[in-house]
Amino acid sequence: MTPDMELALPARAENIALIRHAFGALGETLAVDEELLSDVRLAVTEACSNVVVHAYADETPGPLEVLATLDDGTLTVVVRDEGPGIAPHPDSPGLGLGLPLIASLAESVQLGRDEQERTEVCMTFSLSDDRVDRASSTSSTRGVTSRGGQDDQVDPAPRT
Amino acid sequence: MSDSTTPEPDASPPPGPPEPVSLRVATGPLAGPVLNRVASMVLARAQCPLDRFDDALILCDAISAHAPAHVRDSHLVYTLTAEERAIELRVAELRTGGAAGLMDDALLPDVGNVIERYSDSRRVEPASDGGGEELILTIDFA
Repeated sequence: MTPDMELALPARAENIALIRHAFGALGETLAVDEELLSDVRLAVTEACSNVVVHAYADETPGPLEVLATLDDGTLTVVVRDEGPGIAPHPDSPGLGLGLPLIASLAESVQLGRDEQERTEVCMTFSLSDDRVDRASSTSSTRGVTSRGGQDDQVDPAPRT
Repeated sequence: MSDSTTPEPDASPPPGPPEPVSLRVATGPLAGPVLNRVASMVLARAQCPLDRFDDALILCDAISAHAPAHVRDSHLVYTLTAEERAIELRVAELRTGGAAGLMDDALLPDVGNVIERYSDSRRVEPASDGGGEELILTIDFA
């Protein structure tokens, strides 16, 4: 499915604000609940921050792509980079909470690579009114999974 | 909740040539608001003065309103590049003749042509993939 919104820009910290603004416009246009929009923006911010900090470490910042697709009340966001992939970063400056935070905010999270071997974080958010009460959700239903349909859990701590 | 892991923005501008921001957005209600937000960020970062900032957003509104009738498919494709004292806005994936059609549609009674009035230069180039064309506008500022 063709994304409804697609941004491609250098993986620089200052561009994260631009991405947040773009999602703000998307949310306001679609009259997305304010709390949910905050969740979406925070999750996208975390995913993009991971790209900025880890994907091109010690190199010139490479491309960062963010794709948003709306389909039947579900917003799917893909954050994509051309870095080496998600791997342990013991020297990370972050708290190691990035991917767990994304998992807690999104309905689902998948980590993987696309057909061009680019690293992807794919998040989905339910925009419908009857979305699951987050407070009652258990962590087992909000894990981070690898792409391909398997249920194997990926340790989300390494990046950030 | 704070964005505690968000890296701090770089204090100095990036070295080397300008780095463009590309936006592809579906025609429809998203097109105008998303372009305006993205353009606002690029303009602000380029330290565009307020008068030209307003001009640029009027230009974006005009393009968002009229471009859907002239695109090759159901998406609008933009590239924004901040240059020294100018912003370049490239409207891509227009069908052949679409750039002229977009310009014609921007003509308003008693106002004139909004695109001509608020941009400093305009040119049309064939699309790099050989299909259709691109309209390239610049907005200069002191």
